[in-house]
Amino acid sequence: MRSSAVPALPLAQRVRGLEMPWNRVLSSASEPAGAATALGPWHPQEFAAECVETIPEAGGMMVFVFRRMDGAPLAFRSGQYINIDFPIDGPNAEPVSRSYSISSAPTEPWTFSITIKRDPKGKVSPWAHDHLRPGTVLDMLGPVGAFHLADYDRRARFLLLAAGAGITPLMSMIRTVHSLPGQADVVLLYHGAAPDSFAFSEELDFLANVDFRIKVIYCLGDRECGDEWEGRTGRLSTSLLDELVPDANGRQVFACGPEGYLNSATELLRTVGVDDTSVFMEFFSGDREIRAEYAEEVAIAGEIAEEIAATTEEYFESQPAALDMYEPEYDADGPVEAVGAPTEAVDAEAVVPVDAEVEIEVVGVTDENLAEAGPDSASDAGSTVPAGDGAAASAGESGDDDEIAVVDPAALPTVGQGEHTMSFVRTGLNVCVGEDETVLQAARKAGVKIPANCQEGMCGSCKVVKLDGDVEMNHLGGIRAREIDAGKFLPCCSTVKTDLVIDA
Amino acid sequence: MRLDTRRTGFSLEAPFYTDPSLFNLDMQAIFGQHWVFACSVAEIPEPGDYVTLDYGPYSLIVLHNDDGGVNVLHNVCRHRGARVLTDPQGTTGNLVCGYHSWTYSPEGDLIHASAPGEMTFDKSCYALKRAHGKIAAGLVFICLAEEPPTDFHETAKIFEPYIAPHELAKTKVAYQQNIVEEGNWKLVMENNRECYHCDGHPELACSLFPTWGLTDETIPPHLEDVWDRNQQAQASLEYRCRRYGLPYEVVEELDTRVGGIRISRESLDGAGESFSADGRRLSKKLLGDLPDFRLGRCSMHLQPNSWFHLLGDHVITFAAFPISASKTLVRTTWLVADDAVEGVDYDLETLTHTWKQTNLQDKAFVELCQQGAASPFYEQGPYMKSEYQVEAFINWYVQRMREHVG
Ligand code: FES
Ligand code: FES
Ligand SMILES: [Fe+2]
Repeated sequence: MRSSAVPALPLAQRVRGLEMPWNRVLSSASEPAGAATALGPWHPQEFAAECVETIPEAGGMMVFVFRRMDGAPLAFRSGQYINIDFPIDGPNAEPVSRSYSISSAPTEPWTFSITIKRDPKGKVSPWAHDHLRPGTVLDMLGPVGAFHLADYDRRARFLLLAAGAGITPLMSMIRTVHSLPGQADVVLLYHGAAPDSFAFSEELDFLANVDFRIKVIYCLGDRECGDEWEGRTGRLSTSLLDELVPDANGRQVFACGPEGYLNSATELLRTVGVDDTSVFMEFFSGDREIRAEYAEEVAIAGEIAEEIAATTEEYFESQPAALDMYEPEYDADGPVEAVGAPTEAVDAEAVVPVDAEVEIEVVGVTDENLAEAGPDSASDAGSTVPAGDGAAASAGESGDDDEIAVVDPAALPTVGQGEHTMSFVRTGLNVCVGEDETVLQAARKAGVKIPANCQEGMCGSCKVVKLDGDVEMNHLGGIRAREIDAGKFLPCCSTVKTDLVIDA
Repeated sequence: MRLDTRRTGFSLEAPFYTDPSLFNLDMQAIFGQHWVFACSVAEIPEPGDYVTLDYGPYSLIVLHNDDGGVNVLHNVCRHRGARVLTDPQGTTGNLVCGYHSWTYSPEGDLIHASAPGEMTFDKSCYALKRAHGKIAAGLVFICLAEEPPTDFHETAKIFEPYIAPHELAKTKVAYQQNIVEEGNWKLVMENNRECYHCDGHPELACSLFPTWGLTDETIPPHLEDVWDRNQQAQASLEYRCRRYGLPYEVVEELDTRVGGIRISRESLDGAGESFSADGRRLSKKLLGDLPDFRLGRCSMHLQPNSWFHLLGDHVITFAAFPISASKTLVRTTWLVADDAVEGVDYDLETLTHTWKQTNLQDKAFVELCQQGAASPFYEQGPYMKSEYQVEAFINWYVQRMREHVG
């Protein structure tokens, strides 16, 4: 709480929307420099990481902070999870594999943390709480998952719905928003079983206090609670949503918690008018179907990791579209556009036999008291997917005739004199040209037909497409920057700098 | 054809809808003197982008210039009068007439005319004629008068706070429909200014309350339920508008100023988001920095030739461009957020369905009236209470005509 002696500050000015820092790295034309390389492209990798810190959290949870053994930062998107091998039965036995959401922000990538709730009946979580200590090294695979913030969001208005341990991936999102500039509007509605069960509540209170973009609401469900409870009570309901987040309708909703909670959230969100395509859910439960999905995602991630380990370059070229779930688009030279690739989920409807080897523990809430089991609605919200910003890179206009491209300039007859050669692929002629002659003059002398009028770069009537090479052009408004970007030029006012291939 | 003794509250005498010489007078007095809605910035998003507009005898080029404004040029070559630009829209650097290649700068200056042997040719005498252009809240207006009406900036001040939050500069054209209605432009406008006939719009009736234009006193018994629903929807819309700082109050100065305007934000039926069967959004990307899809429709009527619906998810602009006494081009343009992806965020057919249908129905109504006006037995008819905006339009028109005739 700010003391009354502190004068009120004017509201911060911020750029529109939220943009992840790696966008700049990935879209930069020059080679991404130094450490930034490690921040993208990101894809599931197999790596070993060392625990460096354990922090007890409320609600029977423990935060485990890791750093990679190879010294690289961990590149992931806010909301994703990693799959970890726990050597529960000793170093020589088969490890037990589990998936845990990352709770730290990708903007602090040098270490990362997962948060594990102790489930007394579980196999892995008690082991982690009792044996996982600084210095322990574990094998991991990740990042995995299509539940995450978009790389760029012009309308960064979010409603985060958390129940119990479902706070973990949402915590990463809140920390990420807080660490980045940009206009955002985040409301976290956080349901817990008891007043002392809210993990990260001190940090959340702090963030809500210092960052006007973040609002945190704690809610206890409909159980009895003492007088000292200052938060809300009541199950997730339309009236609660209407009261606390009356503009839910215009927000993207990220929800994480037990299945019953999420199923009822699905229905409620529909009722208050949130479009299904704006709802993203992460099921934290041991439901067979969901375990199958996790297992499948991890299996695919493993394949991807293997392929990358084999050869990065071939991987970029060969990656099938269906597996394109963690990636910006690539060509042989690397990422072509950071914001371009919509992520894609594994088909939630697909029936996949649960592999007994890949056992998925319930990472979230097992506390039945908490689970606000809604009506037995079908969980068709499944793992919906944040739509990437679909703006495709606008490819430069090139010749509209595919056949032209296969003409081999070297095979064409050559006329004229000069140090550079201009290949007119439609005419089927190579014309040599000197540096003091315009492209138009040389072309006309050789009989290439290019319409022209002013011959001063004003009228644009001579405009043609350059398929290759560089010219120096001194135009007088006959062409637009956009057209130049698309490869066009005015031969009447251009001289050659290199050999040219011209679509004329 | 009496302007001085118009029968108030009644439609115009037939020649106003049929007579070519009166049409010519309309073109001079109304379309030649007033601010006319041309297009939105989404139609000419980048420098060099242009649209050409034809109405009555006029042909104009509206070009997005390098300073972010618009240049309005008469599309009449100063050599022998050919249309300089012939496409309805496009992108250009300089403007080259296709006939003898006279070349004009985007400002209209003649910068090149091949003139072998011409010793005394002075290019500076042959610039394209210019007209006035203005952008307000992303809407482009043009005026052919030497001295445009001066109150337009007040009109713009009225509508800017309503329209600016939709950020038209960050929209794109999803679809544009041009229909030629066999009717006088005033009949097109009259038809638009009332919803007395809205029973004839089944698609629109899903989202538009049929009580539009009615009041507590004039509501018929069969519409009382709808009226209640309307009132409730309006109350919650106004609550949301206050919360988000969006203006919604009705401002109505249709015939009390030269830049005649009516603007308001009104609730829609159903989910209250858009012109769909259930009132739900038709595009999934919110416009501007709007926080909520349930913003009803911000509707604006401008004299003499336009009307608009601005929703949370899309915007529709309507413009009437007269062709002849009995023919009018009605142009409807659907704008969505510029990052909305067709097929992903919106389905083009669904997005445009309601107003495509409604436009066709309106076209038929207008044409029925045009046929009637041509009958020797046509007589002026009374505008009903719910048609007060039609009366306002006609009153505005008659005043402007009187001023012009003097
Ligand atoms: S001939 Fe006019 S620009 Fe080249
Ligand atoms: S008419 Fe335009 S150049 Fe001759
Ligand atoms: Fe109509």
